[in-house]
Amino acid sequence: MSAATLDRSAASRFWRRWRFHLSALVVLVPIALTPLYFRQLALENGTAGLGAREIGERKVGPWSVRLAEFDLLPPQVQGPAGPVKQFTLALAGAGVTEVRAAYLKIGKPRSLRAAGSIFFGSPYRQTAGLPIPERTSPDAEVWLTLEGWDGSMQTQALPLAEASPVAADWLRSRNGGKP
Amino acid sequence: MTALRALALGALIVALSPATPALAHYPFCSCEKHGEMIRCKGGFSDGTSAEGVKLDVIGYDEAVLIPGKFGKDSVVEFRSPPGDFYVLFDAGPGHVVEVDHNDIP
Repeated sequence: MSAATLDRSAASRFWRRWRFHLSALVVLVPIALTPLYFRQLALENGTAGLGAREIGERKVGPWSVRLAEFDLLPPQVQGPAGPVKQFTLALAGAGVTEVRAAYLKIGKPRSLRAAGSIFFGSPYRQTAGLPIPERTSPDAEVWLTLEGWDGSMQTQALPLAEASPVAADWLRSRNGGKP
Repeated sequence: MTALRALALGALIVALSPATPALAHYPFCSCEKHGEMIRCKGGFSDGTSAEGVKLDVIGYDEAVLIPGKFGKDSVVEFRSPPGDFYVLFDAGPGHVVEVDHNDIP
């Protein structure tokens, strides 16, 4: 009897011995993961709130917005675009009809054209992916820019550590504790 | 029986695939100095090329020094202008990447 035949029969014996238990796992693992699935679904469709962590209400010029971190994960690498962190925003009051677009950027924007990542979605719940390169200082500021339908532009800065403590900690661990 | 197995395998793959918050394609642009010339490569994280996307070289005074557009190879080359400038990959509002001249190795 060759070694290959022996291997095959060993594999076949293993399969016959354990196939019932493996098929039970196929049923049990998804059942165990179901609460996680529904939690993720609630986060995505907004029933769990604006995001996993509300940053709070901010005044940006005459308008006011609510900002949140979409999830509590550190920035996730998006291929060659590098690490990206998701934020959600809700316009409030007059801003719902007066604000044309909202943008998010690390550092002060030089112009409206270079205002950063745009929020997309309805005025009540919009999402933007903010690129956070690894060389970013943990003490950097996140700048929120609102563009009005009247052409006006309003900005507001907040520390990255306040916008996303998990992203600031992640940068600190990447930079070896150096600011 | 084979169809049933294929269905079970399909269901397993769907169950195990991770949920993503949003299927987005993020722009990227990286620039390198080659002597007098600067070579910028752009694109999107989902593999889409940057063909036709604007790449402007802008001075700190917001004057466009060199207007450009990506070709088929998603690369733009230009002569380094004197003074302070930044490179702006502009695929439309909110789909921009800014590269400061100090960050170009």
